[in-house]
Amino acid sequence: MASLIPAVIRTKIHSAWAGWGAAGGQGASPDRAQTTLIWPTGIAAPLAMVAPALVLIPVLGLLPGLVHGGGFDLLAEFVQAAFTPSLDPLVVGSAIKGLGITVGIALLGWAASGLLGLALALASSRQVWVTYCGQVWPANLLRRLLALPRSIHELLWGLLLLQVVGLQAAVAIAAIAIPYGALIARVLGDQIDALPSGALAALRCSGVAAPQALLTALGPPLLPGLLSYGGYRLECALRSATLLGVFGLGGLGTELKLCLQSLQFHELWTGLWLLLVVMLLLETALAGLRRRWLMPRRLGLGGPSSGNPRLEAGAAQGSGSGRALAPWAPAGPGLASPNPARPGPLPTNPLAPESGAGHRGQGRAPRPDKLGRRGREMVLALVVMVPLLVWLARGMGVHPLGLLHWQPLPNLGGASWASVLALPWPQLVGTTLLLTLVAAGLAVGLAPLLLLVIAPWPWARPLLQLAWALARLWPPPLSALLLLLLLKPGLVTAALALGFHNLGILGRLLLESSDDSQAPAEGALQGAGVGPRLALFYGRFSGLARSYLAYGAYRADVMLRESVVVGLVGAAGLGTQLLESLSSFAWDQLLALVGVYALLTLVGEDLSDRARRRLLAPT
Amino acid sequence: MSAAPASELGQPSPGPEAPRQELPWLELSQITVPGRGRPRLDRVSLAIGGGERVALLGPSGAGKSSLLAVANGLLRPASGSLRWLGTPPARSGRARRRQQARIGTLWQDLRLIEELSVQQNLNSARLAAWGWPRALLNLLWPLDTAANRDALAQVDLGAELLDQPVSALSGGQRQRVAIARLLRQDPDLLLADEPLASLDPRLAAELLQLLLNQVTPRRALLLSLHRPDLLAGFDRAIGLRHGQVLFDQPTRTIGPADLEALYGGEQPDSGP
Amino acid sequence: MAIRERWAAVLAGLSLVLLPAVLPEGNPGGPSLVPPARAEQPQGQAKPVLRIGAIPDQKPEKLNRLYPLVAAELERQLGVPVTYVPVVDYTAAVTAFRTGDLDLVWFGGLTGVRARRQKPGAQVLAQRDIDVAFHSIFIANTGSGLKPIHDLKGLTELKGKRFTFGSESSTSGRLMPQYFLAKGGVKLGDFAGGAPGFSGSHDTTIALVQSGAYDAGVVNEQVWRTSLHDGRANRAKVVAIWRTPGYPDYHWIGQPNLDQRFGKGFSRKLQGAIISWRTTNPEQKQILGLFGAQQFSKSTAANYKQIEQVGRQIGKIH
Repeated sequence: MASLIPAVIRTKIHSAWAGWGAAGGQGASPDRAQTTLIWPTGIAAPLAMVAPALVLIPVLGLLPGLVHGGGFDLLAEFVQAAFTPSLDPLVVGSAIKGLGITVGIALLGWAASGLLGLALALASSRQVWVTYCGQVWPANLLRRLLALPRSIHELLWGLLLLQVVGLQAAVAIAAIAIPYGALIARVLGDQIDALPSGALAALRCSGVAAPQALLTALGPPLLPGLLSYGGYRLECALRSATLLGVFGLGGLGTELKLCLQSLQFHELWTGLWLLLVVMLLLETALAGLRRRWLMPRRLGLGGPSSGNPRLEAGAAQGSGSGRALAPWAPAGPGLASPNPARPGPLPTNPLAPESGAGHRGQGRAPRPDKLGRRGREMVLALVVMVPLLVWLARGMGVHPLGLLHWQPLPNLGGASWASVLALPWPQLVGTTLLLTLVAAGLAVGLAPLLLLVIAPWPWARPLLQLAWALARLWPPPLSALLLLLLLKPGLVTAALALGFHNLGILGRLLLESSDDSQAPAEGALQGAGVGPRLALFYGRFSGLARSYLAYGAYRADVMLRESVVVGLVGAAGLGTQLLESLSSFAWDQLLALVGVYALLTLVGEDLSDRARRRLLAPT
Repeated sequence: MSAAPASELGQPSPGPEAPRQELPWLELSQITVPGRGRPRLDRVSLAIGGGERVALLGPSGAGKSSLLAVANGLLRPASGSLRWLGTPPARSGRARRRQQARIGTLWQDLRLIEELSVQQNLNSARLAAWGWPRALLNLLWPLDTAANRDALAQVDLGAELLDQPVSALSGGQRQRVAIARLLRQDPDLLLADEPLASLDPRLAAELLQLLLNQVTPRRALLLSLHRPDLLAGFDRAIGLRHGQVLFDQPTRTIGPADLEALYGGEQPDSGP
Repeated sequence: MAIRERWAAVLAGLSLVLLPAVLPEGNPGGPSLVPPARAEQPQGQAKPVLRIGAIPDQKPEKLNRLYPLVAAELERQLGVPVTYVPVVDYTAAVTAFRTGDLDLVWFGGLTGVRARRQKPGAQVLAQRDIDVAFHSIFIANTGSGLKPIHDLKGLTELKGKRFTFGSESSTSGRLMPQYFLAKGGVKLGDFAGGAPGFSGSHDTTIALVQSGAYDAGVVNEQVWRTSLHDGRANRAKVVAIWRTPGYPDYHWIGQPNLDQRFGKGFSRKLQGAIISWRTTNPEQKQILGLFGAQQFSKSTAANYKQIEQVGRQIGKIH
């Protein structure tokens, strides 16, 4: 949501662009393109980056009134239990079994979403339709339609499917596959259409049939972006699968929830530590693959530096296998970035906030032999994965056809629309938006703030990384339940839980991109005797601010969608009402609430797209 | 200006045994920095006193950048000792930063903060002295406008540039802003790493003059230079080859033979 | 590089060889996924499985101890395979019953009414002796300053206190207490923080109130007694302050199609099996002990009219 950035800043950004359009023109070389990204003088870049943390002031102000005194003993017990997880073979065994199911759901859901996304991306690509029949409208129509599945959180999909087809393994998988597939379709569709059409046209002119031409002209350039984005989606899928479990769809999440509800903290930590190991392994493995295949970074926060910091060059060259590149914007050989002469295409895709910045990405072309090797390895990986997925699916008793056995929904006839209208809609929507805003402010603002705090102490970094990993790991409803031991239920509690989870995600991205970006100005400041915090703040954050905030805008959009999952701490707007309606089996209300949610997230998505476009617009 | 103490320090033989009235501004003795194959700096000793203008010459890869990095404290030598105004680098981070605040570096890539305005960039030179409150205020409000205007005037820029973002400036303006930032830092020791490398000859000459003009009796300049033809304004030149000091003598005594020995057939042209 | 590639090629080859091996074998002993609800889906299979479930009103460990015993006993008595399928919350239990993933479920009053409304034809089979007039107990942390309450009006003492219910759909942990609170003049917004908490289960309510996280809460009487008995509830920290009037609660509900799937008269056999449990049989005594009952008796839908009315009043039944 754009509202994450204070309105003042937004208008400033806007006016700044209006005023400096001319100034931007002089940045002709790609390197200079970066330097022409102008930040308005009113609010300086690094300050804008930590400004969202201002929300801490009201939150901290409200907190003393929210702490209900009791529960500190329980919290202490919880923290102690972290060091003494239960090692009872029964507990460990059931945690491992649960973890297996969660990982299975994640992998299968991810694989299904990949296939679905790829198919839908092709079907919603303007280039593909033009190539086949010269029409654009089917692509546009499909794009519009895809907005709906995308705007509904996977948890809602899960709960709705559960009602319709009953409890089965395929429900959790489909719950992940549907919204993820629609998201992937959008991202990929945009990428396909942003590719230069020259090669395709050339092939078509020489008489190549449409499918072959599309495959040859669009396939290779698309692959790195597809895989990089796919890797990111897999990480998301693991988090989603855990979350679905918390709501009873099977796997480790279910066990975690039951352990927490019965306050069995030692058993809870057994599951959490195991999950942490798997999550970190997955993240490390994906990062390794990304490096090996020279794929674009998840998030190219901060473009390559334009300078020539020779003093650091020795160290930097050895470590980085690719500087921060545009995220999923395809990079690599033969992969022209979107036509730079065109002012667009603006990054409309929600997950590639920097695709606009991609113009300045200096894709380091792999050597030709590496290129072939990469292709072979990718195919190999896919081949290895097929039996694994089949084995998993059979092991978990997944029957995709089971999804077709629909159960009739009860008492749909007796929908009382009066009672639906009687819901306090303005308050529900307002609370939901406020919740998102506070959570987003906390997550976006705190990540750089914490980095600043620990800047002088190298030993604090691993601790912060661990804390962030745990934050990513914990499904927000679990954090919310834990917070309830200390705090009264309500908006702030829900926002803290949601913000904490997203802080883990944002923090990791910020740290990664901060490490990847070269910031000669930071070295210069340090050379002039400036302390490590101020040097980081002025020297490095200045360059990162734009892309970080752009990603923050995307994340806020995600948080709006996610706000449903913290509904169980009460007073949390639509989410709480939704869970309440679900537990009362009030279908009419449920339908209306899901509709309003979808509408809100679509508006939020649009706003966050606009914010990102403004933040990342080249020149 | 006052070149008197410079000539006294300008002994051909490196080392601090030369007679002097005051502590050298910068003193390196037996500095060694290991590198791949051969050391980047090999037992380098030199001293620079207040008011001196010293040029650092040598082919690319001779160790000029390393030497400057050691001099401003970014690079820690493997052996040898370094003294700023007579004192070795402090152990505590805070005291060391206070020492580094006395040293100003002009980077070849300028290292301006692109996202900030000229005024904010100029003020960033004062960050070492400022605490967080002022550092934050600087991002919100124009601070020290008078001082910044003076600094810009000294490099022949108008005050109207103050609220421009740095990224909107031309190449020459950026160079001058970087020098103005140094002036705002008001250092005792000015280091410059090939500041003229990528400039056209006219601009290079102007800029060099600007830098040379900044030297006062209480400020010294050490500048690495790729073009021996620009040596005229310097008091002394140090020739560096393969990480070792080849010569260290007043510029007027440097002849073609010295340069021939220094570059050894390599073109003394640009190319970091 | 070459070595690694060859290695990868071998790996790929192996996996391709494995593919057909995996396909026909089916489940290679891997953990069968989600509650076996669907894994054992008896679609045209030889022997149908009776899947039993229960609302998770207590600690999972207790449920996991009790219901496998019930499954084993029923299997012995009825001669059909019986499995226990755990569910994560009350709503999930109702949903699983409606979608046919559970054949026989131990429901609370409110969830039972909902289940029958959603699955017309579902049969109320049996209830415990204590379910005819079940009670809820309001409990308080000793440090909260709350005193024992003697009548409905005394409930106003709870205004401004941190208060937690059990599950949102619990009869004894939410529905009836909320009904009595309303009768006593206490609205949900009167609690500290403007809303009550929902701990999720009776055990958690006791733990939270005992820890001081909440000043007061409400639990079902049977769980409260058991907790006092086994020492989980510490009388020095948590005390009962009020016992509600009686109301009907828990009961067993069976799917309407049991007779078709398991043979004529099966539901009657099932009902007979449950109400035949006696404390004289060691296995059955253990089960009854865990249920906190002396024995089960027949029950009918009519017993739960009152619950349905209250549910409507409070808006938990539509």
